[in-house]
Amino acid sequence: MIEEKNICQAYIKHRKKKTLENINLSVKKKAITALIGSNGAGKSTLLGVMSNMIPPLSGEVLIDGVNIRTLKPCELAKKIAILKQTHHISIRITVKDLVEFGRFPHSRGRLSDFDRKKVKESIAYMNLTEMEDRYLDELSGGQRQRAFIAMVLAQDTPYIFLDEPLNNLDVKYSVEMMRIIKKLVSELGKTVVVVLHDINFASAYADYIVAMKNGRIIGEGRPEQVITKEVLDEVFDHDFNIVSYQVRNACLYFDRVS
Amino acid sequence: MPREEKLQKRSLFVFVLLAVLLTLSVFLYIYSRTYAKAHRLNLEMDRAAFDSIMARTVPALIGMAVAAVLTAVVSLSFQTVTGSRILTPSMFGFDSVYVGTQTILVFMFGSVSRAFVDPYINYVITAGTIIAVSMMMYGFILRKNKNNLVFLLMFGLILSGIVRSGSAYLQVIMDAGDYNRVKAATSVTVNNMNTRIIFMALPLMLAVIVAMLIRHKTYDVMALGENSAKSLGIHYEKEIRLNLFLISLGMSVTTALIGSLTFLGLLAVNIARELFRTHRHIYLFIGSAGLSALALIAGQALSELLQGAVPVTVIIDLVGCSYMFYLILKEGRVK
Repeated sequence: MIEEKNICQAYIKHRKKKTLENINLSVKKKAITALIGSNGAGKSTLLGVMSNMIPPLSGEVLIDGVNIRTLKPCELAKKIAILKQTHHISIRITVKDLVEFGRFPHSRGRLSDFDRKKVKESIAYMNLTEMEDRYLDELSGGQRQRAFIAMVLAQDTPYIFLDEPLNNLDVKYSVEMMRIIKKLVSELGKTVVVVLHDINFASAYADYIVAMKNGRIIGEGRPEQVITKEVLDEVFDHDFNIVSYQVRNACLYFDRVS
Repeated sequence: MPREEKLQKRSLFVFVLLAVLLTLSVFLYIYSRTYAKAHRLNLEMDRAAFDSIMARTVPALIGMAVAAVLTAVVSLSFQTVTGSRILTPSMFGFDSVYVGTQTILVFMFGSVSRAFVDPYINYVITAGTIIAVSMMMYGFILRKNKNNLVFLLMFGLILSGIVRSGSAYLQVIMDAGDYNRVKAATSVTVNNMNTRIIFMALPLMLAVIVAMLIRHKTYDVMALGENSAKSLGIHYEKEIRLNLFLISLGMSVTTALIGSLTFLGLLAVNIARELFRTHRHIYLFIGSAGLSALALIAGQALSELLQGAVPVTVIIDLVGCSYMFYLILKEGRVK
């Protein structure tokens, strides 16, 4: 069973425009929660607030009952790992170097045997063992993305936040990435919050979907509750066509042939 | 882990080589100041003369070495914090703020006032101004325009332009005696070190060096970029602020003690990067510190030997400038 815990409650107020407005959200444990919404809806901001990267102007974010503002950054890094959409790295490092960085919150840079074991496991889990000594800039986009997920895995946090992990990935790698994320939940018991652009990927892989528009939550719930014409039309200002495929809903957003 | 071992072996080799070269250049420097000079002037080099020269040479050597190491360490950490290979803290215009402070001190209190003459009071005022200016720059610009370092640097450039022309103006309208004293105070170079503050400068410089060296693991993580560093539990804003403070403190001491070493840090850090080809800051710190000290001391020894009136910093700036052109062109091509 999924335990419900109110870990998120954020409220950001700007003088002119609110990026987030009265957001009340509790993230279900050991499940994938997908954030969907049009560009500028505040998905990434919400993820940033939830991970204490961006301080909320008012309101608070609770993790396991504790306000995250009161946690030290290094303590928080043992609970939440976040991968932002742009993780361009200017230094030249190998996959293994990168994954070893994931142990930093635990080891402060001095790797113990346990840390090395964790690094090895994470690399193996992401099928990167053969290329652990390759440099990141020699890898394909999908492999590099996997290397970053391996770093997040090595960080060994119960909560993993991913900001558009499917960016720049083609269909094959996107599916592979979503399967991996699914496995993180089912095999390792992680709680994953993921920002997705592709509604159908959210529908097919997420356990819960949160649909946002203009800094507000328009709809939330199980995929079949959110991937409906009423909700999506409002969220995206678009005339959707919902079809049912197996047990999932999928949406078509093209113009009809007249 | 063969790669790790290779790196360790290679860096050990480079460190030993650097240590040998450094020792040689120290002896060369001492030789150039004593026997070579005596020979040139047809003088006998007796014990008393040697001792009296050494009494001046040793502080100069220590001052140069520490200043060179500090410049390298500060430049590397600055590059890591800003995420750029072609920036050095000298570009903030610390030296012009230094000149400006001296000029204003003389202009306001006169060249015989304690604020100007007492080396310690003078230094505290100067360093305070430099730190205040750079923290203010940080507060104004970095907080509002999140991490817009290009903007920050442009601001630094403009500020140093204003301060420089402002002090030039003040120097023109002050009387000749005051002007000469300001000129003397602000023309500290490697040859003309401000040894009066050396006993305060050295501990401060060493403190900055140590503070940066013990944080080398943090710099490793910060080199990953802001997002990753934050996710890995680095208190990013605090680190930036702390680093900016340490950098301005270090730069203010070096500028007051030995003048501006604009391109030395850039040169040493980038050569160290090429030599070690690693992201680990501990190797880069030690390597660039050694290279920097070597370049300064060996260069100074050579320039003494060749009786050159040109201080070595001019040569280093020349080489460093050309190297910087090369770096900019190279980075431009990659993008």
